[in-house]
Amino acid sequence: MGDAPMNERAPRFPTRAMLAPLALVVLLGAAVLVRPGDDGGALLLANPDRTRVAELHAAFAALPEAPLVLIGMDADLGTYPEVRVAVRAAFSDLQARDARLAFVSFTPEGRAIAGAELDRLRGAGFGDDQLLDLGFIAGAEAGMVRAVTDLLPAGVAGSLADAIREADAGMGAFDLALVVGGGELGPRTWVEQVGTRLPGLAIAAIVPTLAQPELAPYLRTGQLVALLATLRDSAAYAADVAEGATGAPERVPSALAMLLGMLVALGALGRGVASGLWGVPSGPGGGAGTSDRHRGGGPATDADAATDAGNPDGDVATDAERASDTDAATAAEVEQDTATAADVDEEGDGDGDAGAAGAADSSDRATGSEPEGDTR
Amino acid sequence: MRRSLPAATVVIVGLLLLLDYIIINPALATIADLLLELLVLLAAAAALAGGVALVLRHWTELVERRGDPPGSLALLVGFAGILLAGLYPGSSGSTDPAVRWLVAALLAPLIAGLFALLFVFLLGAARRGLTIRTREGALMLAAAAVVIVLLLPIGGAAGDWLASVAGWTLAVPIGGAFRGLLIGVGIVTAVQAARVLLAVNGAEE
Repeated sequence: MGDAPMNERAPRFPTRAMLAPLALVVLLGAAVLVRPGDDGGALLLANPDRTRVAELHAAFAALPEAPLVLIGMDADLGTYPEVRVAVRAAFSDLQARDARLAFVSFTPEGRAIAGAELDRLRGAGFGDDQLLDLGFIAGAEAGMVRAVTDLLPAGVAGSLADAIREADAGMGAFDLALVVGGGELGPRTWVEQVGTRLPGLAIAAIVPTLAQPELAPYLRTGQLVALLATLRDSAAYAADVAEGATGAPERVPSALAMLLGMLVALGALGRGVASGLWGVPSGPGGGAGTSDRHRGGGPATDADAATDAGNPDGDVATDAERASDTDAATAAEVEQDTATAADVDEEGDGDGDAGAAGAADSSDRATGSEPEGDTR
Repeated sequence: MRRSLPAATVVIVGLLLLLDYIIINPALATIADLLLELLVLLAAAAALAGGVALVLRHWTELVERRGDPPGSLALLVGFAGILLAGLYPGSSGSTDPAVRWLVAALLAPLIAGLFALLFVFLLGAARRGLTIRTREGALMLAAAAVVIVLLLPIGGAAGDWLASVAGWTLAVPIGGAFRGLLIGVGIVTAVQAARVLLAVNGAEE
């Protein structure tokens, strides 16, 4: 990925390897725009198993009239798009129950997201007596422990703040804590630091999929009353809420785009795995890390490497060129997986496919010895 | 059996907070609150020191033209931009519209975009990793492929079956392995804490 050497020849026209990622992006973009059959039929993003959704509905149904709900917004900006659908659906659900929401964050990123969501909620019809911004509390776990008994910032006013102050002034004033995780301090920290000190406070969580294995045990023990932890559960919940909502429903990710992306990934992984396990050639130039000539026996020479690396002049390839070719090869291999055309470099220029084999050879040599396939 | 000051501090603070958790005592609660407040201040000071160190380092690299000057310049400009938006006279801090705009219109899309690129980079890395031809790597990617198949967003009976198997996979094998890791980490942490409390040699390292 480093700077290209001065004598490296740039291709005059975009190669298939260069166009493949662009084609993939265009394809996915088109799928997002078309959005056919997002719900029901051949494509179904929403999880047909509604157990998790039912648990969240039950947690909300158990709330008293006009409940006080504490939103622990500690998502991170990278994974928030995955849970945003469920989070906004939950806000709509709570709004329909006349809930009063107070937002608190223990991470800077969560604070930034909370600010944006508060703005959105004010625009969506939440009144000032229904929303309270408790801001960012520093100190990570220590700050969270302090917030159990002292949550209200100095000088905060309003009917909602008064209600919290009269009840407890801490987290004990709330009927439910809805934790949006993904960052460093997630639902597990809430269970450890808040749940143990306030066993009566129900905690529900919405997190990205990567946190699901970590949090599922807390759901079984009842330390979490509900957990939405996969995109499919989020989509199912959003669909449920949208059925009863009057406003515009939150847009769920496109099932078609996801399906296409996953199929491309499967194609790439399948060929790679077959190559790794059984030595099935993964590219037209030969197997992974094996050019045709090298498979014939004997160690590779620098001249071979130069030729394989898309340098038919036979001059010795430099390390930088090999590295560059390896990068190009990776893109070429992805392109090969997406292409439905025959695995033959009909262009005959050797820029893409031959580069793939050569780059693999270069990678093999970079490990310090000839790979098995080259010496067999 | 040499006790250092940091180890002694950890032991005392840890025991006080533990006692406050177990015993209801107003005096103990007051001390624990004070300690927690000190911890919060310490964390804030550490964050501030980290920010200052980051700026100083990149400023030095920029002036001396070491490292990655364009990257250092971008970091310093971004840092200054956020600070200006949050600290200009009359600003309401992190709730200021300028800060919110910078986050919502610039920072969030940038980070989400970088995260989205993981898809492409992971595919490239997987294929490149397989050029080394290790069976372990191939097995790992085969497991990833199986998970992807289970998560395919398709409807009908096949979709129902895939979803139920995916749920079982997350709950049993993946969940079991993850829980094993967490329990292992917990045991090591407990052992290390006990070593600190008992001042066992090497625990302070």
